[in-house]
Amino acid sequence: MNTDQSFIVVAISAYIMSTLAFLIYLLSRERWAKLVGIPFAILGCVVQFVELGYRYETSHIWPLTNLYGSLSLFSAMSVAIFIAFAFKYDFWFIGGFVEALAAGFLAYGLTWDEGYLPAVPALQSYWIKIHVPLVVSSYAAFLVAFATALLFLIKYYGERWLARSGTVRSLRAAAATGPSLSSVTVATAALGDQPVVRGYRESEIIEAAAARGDRFALWLATLPSLAKLDIMTYRIIAIGLPLITVGIITGAWWAKEAWGAYWQWDPKETAALFSWIVYASYMHLHTRNAWRGVRCAWLSAFGFLTIIFCYLGVNIWISGLHSYKM
Amino acid sequence: MAALEELWTEFTGLFSNILFAVSLFAVWGLLTLIGVIVDQGKDPSFYVDNYAPALARLVLRLDLNNIYHSTAYVGIIGLILTSLAVCTFKRVIPARLPPLRAVKIERIPLNATVHVHGEESDVRARVESFFRDRGWSVRKRELGGVEWTFADRHNWARRGVLVAHVGFVIIAAGTTLYWWKGFSGQTVVLSGQTVSVARSGAALHLDHFGYQFEPIHTKTGIVYQPIDYVSNLHVAGRDGVFSAQTLRVNAPIDIDDTLYYQDSYGFAAALAVTKDGHPLAGAPTGPLEEGDGFALGETQRSIQYARFVGTIVHEPSGDLGIGADPRPNNPGVVLTIFDGDDVLGSVLVPLGKTLDLGDGYTITPRSFTPFSVIEYRHDPGIPLVGIGAFVLLAGLCISFYLLPARLYVRIEGAGRAWDVGIAATTVKGYDIFEEQFADIVDGLTRTVNPPKRPLDLAPVVV
Repeated sequence: MNTDQSFIVVAISAYIMSTLAFLIYLLSRERWAKLVGIPFAILGCVVQFVELGYRYETSHIWPLTNLYGSLSLFSAMSVAIFIAFAFKYDFWFIGGFVEALAAGFLAYGLTWDEGYLPAVPALQSYWIKIHVPLVVSSYAAFLVAFATALLFLIKYYGERWLARSGTVRSLRAAAATGPSLSSVTVATAALGDQPVVRGYRESEIIEAAAARGDRFALWLATLPSLAKLDIMTYRIIAIGLPLITVGIITGAWWAKEAWGAYWQWDPKETAALFSWIVYASYMHLHTRNAWRGVRCAWLSAFGFLTIIFCYLGVNIWISGLHSYKM
Repeated sequence: MAALEELWTEFTGLFSNILFAVSLFAVWGLLTLIGVIVDQGKDPSFYVDNYAPALARLVLRLDLNNIYHSTAYVGIIGLILTSLAVCTFKRVIPARLPPLRAVKIERIPLNATVHVHGEESDVRARVESFFRDRGWSVRKRELGGVEWTFADRHNWARRGVLVAHVGFVIIAAGTTLYWWKGFSGQTVVLSGQTVSVARSGAALHLDHFGYQFEPIHTKTGIVYQPIDYVSNLHVAGRDGVFSAQTLRVNAPIDIDDTLYYQDSYGFAAALAVTKDGHPLAGAPTGPLEEGDGFALGETQRSIQYARFVGTIVHEPSGDLGIGADPRPNNPGVVLTIFDGDDVLGSVLVPLGKTLDLGDGYTITPRSFTPFSVIEYRHDPGIPLVGIGAFVLLAGLCISFYLLPARLYVRIEGAGRAWDVGIAATTVKGYDIFEEQFADIVDGLTRTVNPPKRPLDLAPVVV
């Protein structure tokens, strides 16, 4: 095993360890699990960047000229964006999803690793050091947004299931005659704006079912509120959308320099445009109260599927100007 | 007239509706996706040969093989631009700062009350200075006998959407300028040949076309990786003075504000065609480019120079095969023979070898000449497109990263006990501002009710 491969083995192992730790944290809220997951996530991410740097240093070939290199950056950036958001908003719940996807994409990228190949003439441009990292970073942001949307959907449909159980209604009636279920403090903020699931406000469902001792409800109660998950998804997409916009613009500028036209209607360009349309729609719909929440979460999940199609589907299955598999 | 006004109102109402705009986005996205999946710009026979019969008919009848230039696609982009324009004038520009008015603080989801002790004027001053110190723009109004304090932040950012929309308009203007005043095209230059580009008045002489491939050993075998394509040219602009220039991929050359790009390359082949040992009259005398063809004398047959092969290899079976190395080590050509519209077959013929076509006809590939395909484009809209892209990004960043918010503050009470009621509204709902609001309330509570100073106790001497 050479140095290059050793780095990858370390990175994948670190991601697997951090996946397990964050999944335990998600399920149990054990603080130790989070404290184990964080250093492993950082280790994997740092090792990946070191590996990309090492590859460049030893071969003098920019490592993002093939699918392996870009997938490697994709997984590293996904983890980096996740870590940055998690530190800022204490949002480690989604770590299990992000780390698992990062490990999966990195392992898949290895299957495309053909060693050090010099760049074809079309890729011999300073733009490759601007355009590719921007686009890959936008994909990474959308992966993290997908993870938050996934958690939103798990919580939303979990609460729907609890609301359907009927226990809530009886507890709600009991609560009306007894002490209040919730104590309102200064700036309880979004109570009036809370998502309504099957006619009940989120806190009512969780509190009522948790009071009953329902383990699933107790677990749901440990997750951030639906409103917070929705805002988090929005915040991450608000990073990804400008990045993909700059990525498309720099790509168009590069195409102008290489081929003379901003836009060639190449499958990759149009697939990226399709993803851009989906996320631009998300941003427009998120301004509407009726669309915030579950509909936007589904749109975010769909958006990530379009990203995967644009990234891997077009590169691998559809030939065009961007068919840089090897 | 009233009917026209009503129609106009309905039109502007529909086209400024966000859900309508998103519906247009959905159709645009769907058409774009079809264009990604269905091969574009191919010959109709391609779809007949490669797609299921029903699908091929559907593709050809609905013009899906050229979807990006179809009426539907251009139409939907037109509708989106119309929607963008109507929305800009009807919703974005009129969306000024909300008026300063009294509100029911308790009805706004983000609300809190802070109890403060002190003289009224002092309390008001402390509250006002708290918001000013935190960068809020503070205004006061007497409304219904109550003094209200309004604190605003990032109000100018309400124009972010307008800036983004203006960016799109500038990009559209730049691309329109190209359609109006610009031109583009492609020219093929054989080594040693000079071509003129009529629209730009330039002349291009190709001294030499060079290519470099590197055989790289990979896990799956040898890959011949292209490293460089270069056209060594002598070029002249409108002044007619030639100068030496080197043209590479990603490095266009500029002649009189028209840019020239290295597009692709190929090998032209010179074929010797004979009938009963004599040169065939009417057969091409100059080199042919890949895809060129000619009729074979008086017969129904025609010959097409299908492709150049750099390295012909001998298969274990004894047949000739096409090697992976594209460099002309042991070159040859693939000729496709037609009888009318029917393909009779394709033959790989090494350079210098003669192919007997029957009836006394023979064909011999004699030599090959590299040629360069050069793209040219005069685009006066480039600066506008660049400015538009910058403005668009600025608009997106303003819209996404700045949160225009307003705080409504009402101070009520008597004597030395006062309640400071605060409520907040933002352009992006309440949830997104929840944590910041909690911080504000917390900060206000601590600032307007400073902790009492500890007593200065004299040291106790025992």
